Amino acid sequence: MKLGNLILIGLFLVFIGIQFVPTELPSVESNNPEDIIQSGIVNEEVAGILKTSCYSCHSNETNYPWYSYMAPSSWLVAKDVREGRKELNFSTWQENDMIKKLGYLDDISSVIDDESMPMGIYTLMHPSAKLTEEQRELIVAWAEDAMDLVVEEDEEDWEEEG
Amino acid sequence: MKKLFFLPALAILGLLFIQGVTKSEPETKFISHEIAPDMPPQVKAIVEQKCYGCHNAESKNEKGKKKLDWDEFEASKKAKQMATKGKIVEALENGDMPPAKFLENKPEGKLTEGELATLMEWSAGKKKSPKE
Repeated sequence: MKLGNLILIGLFLVFIGIQFVPTELPSVESNNPEDIIQSGIVNEEVAGILKTSCYSCHSNETNYPWYSYMAPSSWLVAKDVREGRKELNFSTWQENDMIKKLGYLDDISSVIDDESMPMGIYTLMHPSAKLTEEQRELIVAWAEDAMDLVVEEDEEDWEEEG
Repeated sequence: MKKLFFLPALAILGLLFIQGVTKSEPETKFISHEIAPDMPPQVKAIVEQKCYGCHNAESKNEKGKKKLDWDEFEASKKAKQMATKGKIVEALENGDMPPAKFLENKPEGKLTEGELATLMEWSAGKKKSPKE
């Protein structure tokens, strides 16, 4: 009994202590003129899926849940968002050149197809982000078509210049 | 006694000669593979020798196969090929390929400077108008 109490008090103190470890959540920016959704290659249905299942980590429009303001979960959230944005940030889509865009779309198609995204730990906490089989197929098909669109767009740019 | 030396000497000479003859051939032999028909032959030869071993449809190296499969590359559409080429440039620029771990056991698998340049030039594509 006494030992149990001591452990509980110890854990509580540790919990309080770690709240003072500085963690910086990546900042949220809602005005993103270079976002993929305004780029003309995303229809409404796909935009909706991207927003609910991808944007928390892969855009500047992160929706931070309550536990992201509390250690130790805040550490994990901060790390995942930082890494997610670094890997692919939909908010800065138009800053990529054509080849980079094609690479991203190709990657999207494969990580959605092999179900490695959205990450399990994310869908565990956000069940609504889980993709149904139909949604996966939709995203894969969209990514494949969007690759052609991106190439066409680029060719038009060339023609305008020349 | 002198005859005893003569025979092995002849054999060694013969071996040297055979080596000299066969050496000029294997380079061209490898190119016959079915990788992307429109790929320039010098690129094809390098891919065949230095990449295809892991990056093919039957590869036991799952990661290598997933990242790039030359058999699939051939069959895929233009946009996909362009995407793949972009990733190849990135991997080559970073010096990620062939992997350092792989080269530990197989140092001869390393790309020579010339090969690297040829692959880079091909995968980066020539900067001319796509109208042509």
